Amino acid sequence: MNALLGISLILLLGLLSGKIAEKVRTPAITAYLIIGILIGPFSLGFVPESIIAASGLISNFALSFIAFSIGQSFSRGLFHQIGKQVLWISILAAFGAGVFVVVAMRVMGLPLYVALLFGSIATATAPAALIMIIRQYKAKGRFTEILMGVVAIDDAWGLIVFSVCLAFARKIHFNHADSVFQVMLSAFWEIGGSFVLGGIIGWMFSKFSRHIRNERDLLIYTVGTILFTAGLAIHFHLSVLLGCMVLSATIVNVHKESFRFFEVLQTVDWPVYLIFFVLAGANLEINLLVEIGAIGAVYVIVRILGKCLGTYFGAVISNAGSDVKRYMGIAQMPQAGVALGMALIAKSTFPEWGAMIFTTIAATTIIYEIIGPIFVKIALHKANQIPGD
Amino acid sequence: MYVKDIMQTEVISVKRGTTLTQLLNMFKSFHSFPKVPVIDNDGILLGVVHIRSFFEIFQPHNQDLLMRNPLSMISREPADIFNIDIEDGMGFLVIVADIMDTKVVKVNQNADLKKAYDLMQLHNRDSIPVVDDQKKLVGIISVFDIVMKIFKEKGLV
Amino acid sequence: MNIILGMGIILVFGLLSGKLAEKVKTPAITAYLLLGIVFGPFALGIISEHIIAVSGTISHIALSLIAFSIGQNFSGKIFRQVGNQVMWISILEAVGAWLITLVGLLFFKVPLYMALIFGAIAAASAPAAIIMVVREYKARGQFVDILMGVVALDDAWGLIIFSLSLAISKAMYLDLSSSIGNVLMGAIIEISGSFLVGGVLGVILSRIGLFLKNQTDLLIWTIGVIFVATGISLHFHFSVLLTSMFLAAVVVNLNNESFKFFDILNHIDWPIYLIFFVLAGASLEIDLLGKIGVIGIVYMIFRIVGKFAGTYLGAHIAKSDDDVKKYLSLGLLPQAGVALGMALIAKEQFPQAGNIIFTTVAATTVVYEIIGPFFVKLALHKTNQIHN
Repeated sequence: MNALLGISLILLLGLLSGKIAEKVRTPAITAYLIIGILIGPFSLGFVPESIIAASGLISNFALSFIAFSIGQSFSRGLFHQIGKQVLWISILAAFGAGVFVVVAMRVMGLPLYVALLFGSIATATAPAALIMIIRQYKAKGRFTEILMGVVAIDDAWGLIVFSVCLAFARKIHFNHADSVFQVMLSAFWEIGGSFVLGGIIGWMFSKFSRHIRNERDLLIYTVGTILFTAGLAIHFHLSVLLGCMVLSATIVNVHKESFRFFEVLQTVDWPVYLIFFVLAGANLEINLLVEIGAIGAVYVIVRILGKCLGTYFGAVISNAGSDVKRYMGIAQMPQAGVALGMALIAKSTFPEWGAMIFTTIAATTIIYEIIGPIFVKIALHKANQIPGD
Repeated sequence: MYVKDIMQTEVISVKRGTTLTQLLNMFKSFHSFPKVPVIDNDGILLGVVHIRSFFEIFQPHNQDLLMRNPLSMISREPADIFNIDIEDGMGFLVIVADIMDTKVVKVNQNADLKKAYDLMQLHNRDSIPVVDDQKKLVGIISVFDIVMKIFKEKGLV
Repeated sequence: MNIILGMGIILVFGLLSGKLAEKVKTPAITAYLLLGIVFGPFALGIISEHIIAVSGTISHIALSLIAFSIGQNFSGKIFRQVGNQVMWISILEAVGAWLITLVGLLFFKVPLYMALIFGAIAAASAPAAIIMVVREYKARGQFVDILMGVVALDDAWGLIIFSLSLAISKAMYLDLSSSIGNVLMGAIIEISGSFLVGGVLGVILSRIGLFLKNQTDLLIWTIGVIFVATGISLHFHFSVLLTSMFLAAVVVNLNNESFKFFDILNHIDWPIYLIFFVLAGASLEIDLLGKIGVIGIVYMIFRIVGKFAGTYLGAHIAKSDDDVKKYLSLGLLPQAGVALGMALIAKEQFPQAGNIIFTTVAATTVVYEIIGPFFVKLALHKTNQIHN
């Protein structure tokens, strides 16, 4: 099968499964993932090799668009209103999930450094899954805004926590000499670099945008800039997600009529997301589910408990509404690419336990990815964010 | 609930032969140019005139065909609308048939409201003409009519 | 350099070069092509092998979208709208350019299968340059109307002529010793296969399209079906162009609101075309430029002769004015996007000869795009279409 047939198969089956999901009131993303699992190399094997090989490319492509659309919600005005809540909730939710998982893993009898790695991976969430659900149900309101903020910033915290834990783990395990300071520095380089990159390009983008006069140029200009930013982020080993988020956050704050840059992507981006999630499903190693074991089960449950509790305290401290206290925890359930990326680093760093960490995270990701969106939808629904429901 | 139950039946329509001057005069007091259905002598819907149609006046015939070739790269508006020479007599030489948009999305009056709404969503339109089984224009329905109907049900109006 | 960065650079600089081209009144496609040469391996080398590796898929996507859009002209309604003159002239000038270029090249000892392809490419013209001139001088009148119609339709005829010629020359090229019967058989299979795939999928696209409820689904459905059509015809070695074109023709004639399938593509297609043309420029082999001298000149001259003869004959049959008879062909000289697309297909099919064809067409495209507008202007002047 050639690449075009493969893509068309993904598009059409995705469309169909999305329709079916609509009928049974399940988020489309769950349907896309299931279709992906079904036609992927681990079951029917309909997706041609060439497309599986390109999934890294497609996922960076899609993630940059997703991050770009998340960033638009960070206007200065909004940040004044919800900035405090977002900060407290994101920090405490990450902290809660991390600490809970570390303790639980120690109780399960894993070495400290392995527990630390699990704990830091537990902080990550999946912004892409969230934005898809918010888009599909046209969710709107304070709760949604805070949630978007939390999962966006989450990424930065996750990055810091993971790199620090990785350094500690290396110190404990190999008695490695790299100092914590150095590690922090490289994490800040990654985060700071992404901010500088997104900021500069965003500023230039806004300045030159007055020369853009029609829809066609607007689309090329916007897509080109997003890809340019993402490409540079990859080139300099920065975070694609953060870079593109800062890009659009800068544009929103510098440019008065920035909405047109986001509107021009509205119809266009969905096919990209569809392909991205079907491919994400195709890449899930479904056969790992049987190996999930006690550790995986504990991880799944304890992580979400930690998220809920952390969120609760964060919401209490920052005086957020009762909806936020109650439901925002479960809305942070999905976990995907970022966690897998971390697990992959763990795998390559620690030969002894690394493979087990990766397998466990890969298996729990399947559960989080498929069940997570349903819980997000429930949370949004309970918090009255879905109009006409 | 069907389209005919809530559509607007008092529609201002024009004929194919309505001249440019007549058309402009009809709507000069409106605060924006509406979507105007075009009908023939039997009342059959032929197309619509909307604000974009006026740009057609400045284009050669058959340019719409070229628009279908994506490589022709033309935008609909003439490059410089402030600097256009309009010849004498254009007001009565140009008729609606020259400028109307025949890409018309219409709905049957006996169709379900949901169907009309879906059509407007699909084609990104705010209002569409309504026809009967003989394709004769009988009204116009807009998203506003549907919103109004829902608000009425909820007792807001 | 990673692919994403490469695409980003191509898009941003492509946009910039398009703007510059606008300033010097040249169609954007020429600018993209030149940008591709500058970025390509023969100059800056910015476009890396990674990107060239995906260029096959991108060009199939771009070509099928172009053919799909052009295919919507095949409807009874359009044929009635343009009238007799446009129909006769457009068909005969396309066939004329094909036949005379073909014969001319054969005379200069170019092998038949290559001459067939060159002839077919000669049929195409470029709307962009013509429209720019018409707009700039605010030209109006009957001559302009006919010119517009002819330009719109001759690409459609050109695509058909090209697909038929390609089918024949492929069959000839694969087995040089084969009989005429075998060659024709191979061509017939290729063509009827394309019609079958395009026809069946056209019915499906149109019928299921009735159930769609929003623009996103419409977009996914439309590109999904176009890709299926292209994917199947690639798989069975049918003609990608014919399949997409026939798909569009079936949809247009089946469905009253078929414009929705075409309009929705306007949201996404332009970045794809931009990348397509820049990559086309990058794949140009500069060192071949020196070797195409004779073929290039012969091709250019005979194409002009063919366009003139075909137009004259068509105008004669349709009883057009003398102005149309004499000067319309001058308006048909610019050549760009469609011709390049055809040449790229030829390049993919015939490793050796294809490179020569592609290089020749790319070079003559630049020449035609530079001299073409002067002839268009001349034609408009002579026929008094420019007022003031």
